[in-house]
Amino acid sequence: MHRIPLRAWTVLSAAVLVAAWLTLTWGGYVRDLFLPPPDELWDGFWDLVTDGYKGRTLLEHLEASLWRIFAGFVTGAAVGTFLGLAMGYWRSVEALFAPFIEFLRPLPQLAYLMLLIIWFGIGETSKIILLFLAALPVSAVAARDGVRNVPVQRIHAARSLGASEWQIFRHVVLPSALPEIFTGARIGVGVVYGTLIAAEIIAGSSGLGWMILDAGRFLRSDYVFVGILLIGLMGLALNWALVALEARIVHWAGR
Amino acid sequence: MTANPYRLLSALSVAAFFATWYVITAAHLAPANLLPSMGEVWAAFVDVLHNGYRETTLWEDIGATLGRCLAGFLLAAVTAVPLGLWMGRSRVLAAFVDYIIQFMRPLPPLSYLILLILWLGTGDTSKVALLFLAAFPTIAMAAMAGVRGVSHLRIQAALACGATQSQVFRHVVLPSCLPMVMTGLRISLAGTFSTVVAAELMAASNGLGWLVFSASQFLRTDLVMMGILILGVFGMALSRGLLSFDLWLVHWRGKD
Repeated sequence: MHRIPLRAWTVLSAAVLVAAWLTLTWGGYVRDLFLPPPDELWDGFWDLVTDGYKGRTLLEHLEASLWRIFAGFVTGAAVGTFLGLAMGYWRSVEALFAPFIEFLRPLPQLAYLMLLIIWFGIGETSKIILLFLAALPVSAVAARDGVRNVPVQRIHAARSLGASEWQIFRHVVLPSALPEIFTGARIGVGVVYGTLIAAEIIAGSSGLGWMILDAGRFLRSDYVFVGILLIGLMGLALNWALVALEARIVHWAGR
Repeated sequence: MTANPYRLLSALSVAAFFATWYVITAAHLAPANLLPSMGEVWAAFVDVLHNGYRETTLWEDIGATLGRCLAGFLLAAVTAVPLGLWMGRSRVLAAFVDYIIQFMRPLPPLSYLILLILWLGTGDTSKVALLFLAAFPTIAMAAMAGVRGVSHLRIQAALACGATQSQVFRHVVLPSCLPMVMTGLRISLAGTFSTVVAAELMAASNGLGWLVFSASQFLRTDLVMMGILILGVFGMALSRGLLSFDLWLVHWRGKD
């Protein structure tokens, strides 16, 4: 059927895009301000790598963003997962916390950033608490559903073989729920990542999000494009890292 | 039967939260400008409801936020669903555009907002474009995955019974992939609602996000908390509403 391999269509499509970019910019149809040509983009990237942006190198901005994600996500996912496991295991725990989780989950994260800034200032604390609160409900719901969806037969089987409650939890419930917990973690990283960039744009003086906004204000669209490309690549890398981790730890998923 | 004690427990937990809030403010344990009392938040709500905030009424702000959110979301839905369905049918088209969507999907929308502002100005156009782009990849990927997941046996069976291609699409493919499509729409509506508030914080002169941001600049914590509560209520209403629409429309979900 397909004489032409599918990959060729992808390459063709990318070639069309690049050709359009070259014609528009080098042909002078679009001002550099709106869409920088490839050579300017490369110069901008090189500038950022060697000289940095406003006193910090590109790597330092990247590091600032990554550290915030790490701190906020790890704490939020850990607390959320424990809470979710407890909520799935005991209905009373669920009844206690569900109203808050249900309220927090669809709430736009940036709305409570303003409150956190009033309470904790515009430093790192408010950003990390923001990311903590963004990751928590996602992880909690995933862990709760994971525990809920454990087949009852498995638990009964373990119990009739004489397993204690702790053994059932450790050897039956946790392994069965882990795939869903990981799915939740991946969604959580996505939410945290998006929230972080937004938070840096609203209030910050370092990080990739801030760099893009600040460069945009000074109409340095080459820096803006470099920043967006980097943010996209970093997002892909984070996702890949989690998928790889998931494949290693939860090798029994789907079996 | 057992639902009632748990309901009661939930109600108690919410009551305990408000009681703690009341005790902290009544006993002046926290500075009043950092944590206003419930009465002050309510007074702020009544005040904004009657007098508006900085020349916008509360209804205008709610309408602006929901209007932007729905405009971007609906535009994305009517374009991304057909594209995704088509991508699911045609591997060539999928190869043509898939990598672009894969790159867009994890990209935080606010990162390209500044670019859209540069291109389209600070008005509603750039915000609706932002929300459109934010919702598009999720919906398209869900529709594509939905079509790819349709069982070949069903299609072959329908073809063997003499169905035309369009009948197969209408009566087999579409009903089979609708649950996936609806899930994609629900996820992206939640994302759109978060994004609209973030976009209003950055560049807007009305809307609930703008109200919260502007109030925080003047340290009007009562207004900030009111705005957060309203946003929370609308967020829950949007996700609940679409969920029940989903359950009503795709009543065959999970009954394969």
